[in-house]
Amino acid sequence: MNPDDELAEHFRAGDEHALRLAYDRYGGAVLYLGVRLLGNRADAEDVTQTTFVAAWQGRDTFDPQRGGMLGWLLGIARRKAVDRLRSAAREERVAATVRAQPAADEESPERVLDRLVVADELAQLPAEQRRSLELAFYDDLTHPQIAALTGLPLGTVKSHIRRGMANLRRRWEVDGAASGSRSAGPTRAL
Amino acid sequence: MQHLDPDRLVLLALSEETAETDESVHLAQCPGCRTEIDDLRHVAELGAETQGLRSLPPPPERVWAGIEAAVTAPVRRLPQRRQRRWALPVLAAAAAAVLAIAGTVVVQQFTDRARPSEVTAKASLGRLGGAPAAAEGAAEVIGGTRLRLDVRNLPLTTGYYEVWLIDPDDTTKMMAMGNLSGSALSGAADVVLPLPPGADLNRYRLVDVSAEAYDGDAAHSGKSLLRGMLTN
Repeated sequence: MNPDDELAEHFRAGDEHALRLAYDRYGGAVLYLGVRLLGNRADAEDVTQTTFVAAWQGRDTFDPQRGGMLGWLLGIARRKAVDRLRSAAREERVAATVRAQPAADEESPERVLDRLVVADELAQLPAEQRRSLELAFYDDLTHPQIAALTGLPLGTVKSHIRRGMANLRRRWEVDGAASGSRSAGPTRAL
Repeated sequence: MQHLDPDRLVLLALSEETAETDESVHLAQCPGCRTEIDDLRHVAELGAETQGLRSLPPPPERVWAGIEAAVTAPVRRLPQRRQRRWALPVLAAAAAAVLAIAGTVVVQQFTDRARPSEVTAKASLGRLGGAPAAAEGAAEVIGGTRLRLDVRNLPLTTGYYEVWLIDPDDTTKMMAMGNLSGSALSGAADVVLPLPPGADLNRYRLVDVSAEAYDGDAAHSGKSLLRGMLTN
């Protein structure tokens, strides 16, 4: 069993130590999502706290068949953040304040969530697969350039990238923001 | 034309190469290959955005303090104590006794000051449901004899704040340590409260700050604002 699945199992069983481990493992990602969606740290910390408390209290509802803990936690955090934005919007309307909103981040919550899931998967890939993908993603290098830089045969680079992409895609499908709606049909609003 | 080869799809998704005419024609007609390449493109885009997300800084410890405090079973309200008829004369006598003891306390504080002011345990206090988002605090046990509290951004209250030490394993068991007054009424306080000698801080290790009303009820109101676990 991989360490993440083991952690999820202990968490579901109500092991308080697993709550701390889950917090250490995923707290940074949950906080990041909060900051991106809410635009300020205090609210994001608050959402992080309520997310882990809600997750702990609702640990029975976590179904490992449907995805991993990171996707589940980020899903909870997204709902908490969106609720908070909505109630803030309501208050704004009531107060009828005309003050300019802080530069709105046009990014959708789903996109931020998907990115965190992909980043987490990338971090867990075997080293050569990860390195090849990083060079392709971040440095925009071609397969032959990656082969030249790493000293790996071109065929190996190709298969690392193909497998790495397949791993990222699988994880995104399982834990990404659209995973819940995917069962509804083959089409997906991205 | 047959479906596109997986390696070829990856190359196209990464924009490393552009589709040949026959490939474009096939992609336009084949929903399967189109879904493949769209998904791979999306994943590649997400992948390119992950730089800097690999080692996200952890949330500050106060967030954990809040989680830990909140998942500890909530304090159940203690049974109401019955007001006794002889309470008043007893209180008057007690008041006199308090005056007598007050002198002792002053002396005690002087002796305390001479002791090493070593911090033997501390807790960061996280906010609970009823408290404003910015409410926070810290507690320190000094020399095993005093509890120092530094709290900020508590809500304004017509009552007062009481400090408790609670047994997290049985949250009906608790000791009132004293109240935060004066500056606390404007939302912040830094106070030192004496700990009862013999208090078992290994057991009563959950520091709790509650909002209390002037209702003559000595029991915990159930309205906790801040909490944190003492650790050595």
